[in-house]
Amino acid sequence: MKLSNFLQAAAIFHKDFLVGLRRRAAFAAMAMFSLTAIASMSLSVGGILIEPKLLAALLWVVIFFAAGAGISGTFEDEAAAGTLATLKLYAAPQAVLFGKMAFTLASLLALTIFLLPVFLILFDAAVAQIFLLLATILLGLTGIAAAGTLTAALTVSASTKGGLFPILLFPVTLPIFLPAISLTEAALTGAEFAPEFLLAMIFYDAILTVASSILYDFLD
Amino acid sequence: MWKLIIFLTATIIAAIIFFVPPVQGLGELAKIIFFHVPAAWVSVVGFFVSAFYAAKFLRTGEMKFDELSARAARLGFIFVILATVSGAIFSKLTWGAYWNWDPRQTTIFVLILIYGAYLTLRAAVPNEKARAKVSAVYSLLSVLTVPFLVFILPRMYFSLHPEPVLNSAGRLEMDAEFLAVLLAAVLDATLIFWRLMKEKT
Repeated sequence: MKLSNFLQAAAIFHKDFLVGLRRRAAFAAMAMFSLTAIASMSLSVGGILIEPKLLAALLWVVIFFAAGAGISGTFEDEAAAGTLATLKLYAAPQAVLFGKMAFTLASLLALTIFLLPVFLILFDAAVAQIFLLLATILLGLTGIAAAGTLTAALTVSASTKGGLFPILLFPVTLPIFLPAISLTEAALTGAEFAPEFLLAMIFYDAILTVASSILYDFLD
Repeated sequence: MWKLIIFLTATIIAAIIFFVPPVQGLGELAKIIFFHVPAAWVSVVGFFVSAFYAAKFLRTGEMKFDELSARAARLGFIFVILATVSGAIFSKLTWGAYWNWDPRQTTIFVLILIYGAYLTLRAAVPNEKARAKVSAVYSLLSVLTVPFLVFILPRMYFSLHPEPVLNSAGRLEMDAEFLAVLLAAVLDATLIFWRLMKEKT
């Protein structure tokens, strides 16, 4: 029986979700990484009030590197388990990509639900515009998931993996990174924000998703 | 080809030393601009040439295009380092600091990161076929940052950097002789890049 691409992607999402629940390693690494990073910064500045601009940058730096710790193994783990070839045999390439991308986004969202309150509490930061913050985070994570899934597929064949993932991902996600920091700062302070930054983020999320979809076909 | 390049380079250097007047208020060292602009130009050209051959490789699967794409990136990496260092010196001269994350400085820094990431990726993949595919895909993925760097970033930050020689308003704000030497230097740098691309290995 041949499933449609959408159902195949959904099945891969479901499979990854179950494997993730059972193994927990990727998610635990992400969560503990973000906790360690936040604690190390919050501890070392010890209660000094940090400017919102710096806080916004710190938040995104933590999200970025925690994402690197968690999602770089999206394809890697399958390759190590020897199931990647089978997966590619049974499912259409686009279904594999979008199933993985959806799961990546879901794990990043779960990470942020855990990380954001800890971050705001430990740095004693108030949020003036909560919806702006949530919208910014959602758009930022979508972009990281889109570019990160393709980047994870790129690093499968690499022999030296340490640090490769963030090196590759950073320049590509910079277009969502910078507006996200700027919008997060506005969300913390309650200052007026530039709506075109939100548009720019939506635009780049779309571009990264489409480009990942087109380029992934060449990797098979 | 090399003879022409050497002749042209020597002429340009002579013109810069003897012919072009010192820049007002900046002195002789400001003539590093004749090195900076061509280097920056070639580092951008190299980026697009690398992406062009990456696309060609993905379409045809011929390894020679992968080799050309990699070579353009290696040359581009050298030129982008030269452009960054010379730009920082010029920046110290005119703005008083080597670095202040002006949009142009950000752009060129992102270019260093992209070139560096691309070359690191190539070094990390041992299998030849896989390396060609993976690096071609990354090369094309990184081209996506171009609209951001060109259109969005300059709106986010105030820039002190002079407008490019060929700016949107179509104005030329330079002495004719200054401009002539600069354009010759850009041509010279492009020829050097082109010649090195055709070098047999």
